[in-house]
Amino acid sequence: MKTFLAWLLWLWIAFTIVAAYLFTPAMEGFVGGGESSRILFFHVPMAWTSFVAFLAAGVWSARYLWGRRDRRHDLAAAAAVEIGLVFCVLATLSGAIWAKVEWGAFWNWDPRQLSITVALVYYAAYLALRSQVADAEVRGRVAGAYAVLGLFVAPFLFFVAPRLAAFSLHPQPVVNAEVLTGREEVGMDPAILWVLLAGSVGFTVLFFWLHDLATRAAVIEDRSEAAA
Amino acid sequence: MSKRGSISAEATAPVPARGSSWAAEAAAVFVKDWRCEFRTRYALNTLGLFAITTLVVVSMVLGPAGAAPQLAATVLPVILWLIVLFAVTAGLPRGFVAEEETHTATALRLAATPSALFCGKLAYGFTVVLALEALITPLFLAMVQMEARRPGLLAVALVAGGYGLSVGSTLVAAMVAQARSRSALFAVLLLPVLVPGLLFAVQLTRAAVTGEPPGQELQMLLLYDATLTVAGLMLFPPVWNP
Repeated sequence: MKTFLAWLLWLWIAFTIVAAYLFTPAMEGFVGGGESSRILFFHVPMAWTSFVAFLAAGVWSARYLWGRRDRRHDLAAAAAVEIGLVFCVLATLSGAIWAKVEWGAFWNWDPRQLSITVALVYYAAYLALRSQVADAEVRGRVAGAYAVLGLFVAPFLFFVAPRLAAFSLHPQPVVNAEVLTGREEVGMDPAILWVLLAGSVGFTVLFFWLHDLATRAAVIEDRSEAAA
Repeated sequence: MSKRGSISAEATAPVPARGSSWAAEAAAVFVKDWRCEFRTRYALNTLGLFAITTLVVVSMVLGPAGAAPQLAATVLPVILWLIVLFAVTAGLPRGFVAEEETHTATALRLAATPSALFCGKLAYGFTVVLALEALITPLFLAMVQMEARRPGLLAVALVAGGYGLSVGSTLVAAMVAQARSRSALFAVLLLPVLVPGLLFAVQLTRAAVTGEPPGQELQMLLLYDATLTVAGLMLFPPVWNP
């Protein structure tokens, strides 16, 4: 069953990639007749997935801290951060490449670039903290608290700080919601929206699949270390 | 009243042993930390001297003319907060690290409720930061030749920003105290937590210097302070108690 679902996921992602190039029209008003904007179909889902991953890390950590202190929950949180960081790095890089094509500079401290940088540093610090605590029980408590603290800090970075900035080259935080509710500030073609949504769904499922594998591997490693 | 050698052991002994209320516990932790500070002068020697040295270097580099007027309002508030931030990074983790190093942490775990302990430590950290700001802000304003058009707003920015700094660093210090390589890790863990609060505090300080009416920064900063306080009270017990 799981193998079938994995193949379904690959098929889904493959279709999304093809659709990103063939199904959607080129976006008007972008460099190169709009062809450069196709990176959006990968950039936005990756940023979204890293957000999901860090949220999941917080939830697993909370389950560890206030649950039965099950080691698996702590390992699941760590796995979520590790995979989330990969997505976060990819989102940053794809964003920087697009920024160079579109705005002429890799980096210009747009509010979104600020928040993704802080997210990168935050969860890299989480992994650094884990590596510096020898005892597994203490590591779970301390790192878990740090991951949950991230959920308190994140709203300020994602929703509050951009509002204070003079301008942003990014659209409003929740693009899709605004398009769906009819407040069309972005003016998105339905085909583009569908491929974006399909990409986000595909990447999110990909994350949870990778996360399942990584957590199981971590649990086995943990057990073999305990047995040794 | 005591020999110097037995400073922390004696000072850590919980004051009200029987029937202690939450507030009494918090106050006892607060008083104990300040008593330790007066005996060792650790905060004065690290935070205070660090801040003053940096301040002198900054104003020396800017020279007798100070910063150019059009740059001053943009750059100087950032420098002021950087000095406060790095002074805090250098000195505040001491509060929890010392408890682990002198092996008094277990006694504290037995003596105080976690939330009371957190509030006591937070009150100590906050007063240290306030004292630091009270010491360096007038010096800074004088040495870089900056004038605060709205001194009241400047005071609010310093207090609200300093509070956010204290809550964040108290919580992170409790985490770091249980890890190896503490001082390096403290800065790495603390900075991303403090970024939003510092952004608001810098913008508010800028408004106080230029005299422009502040936007939503004050509300945002207070919201940030409140959020971190809730997070601290929620997360400190599992960090502190096994």
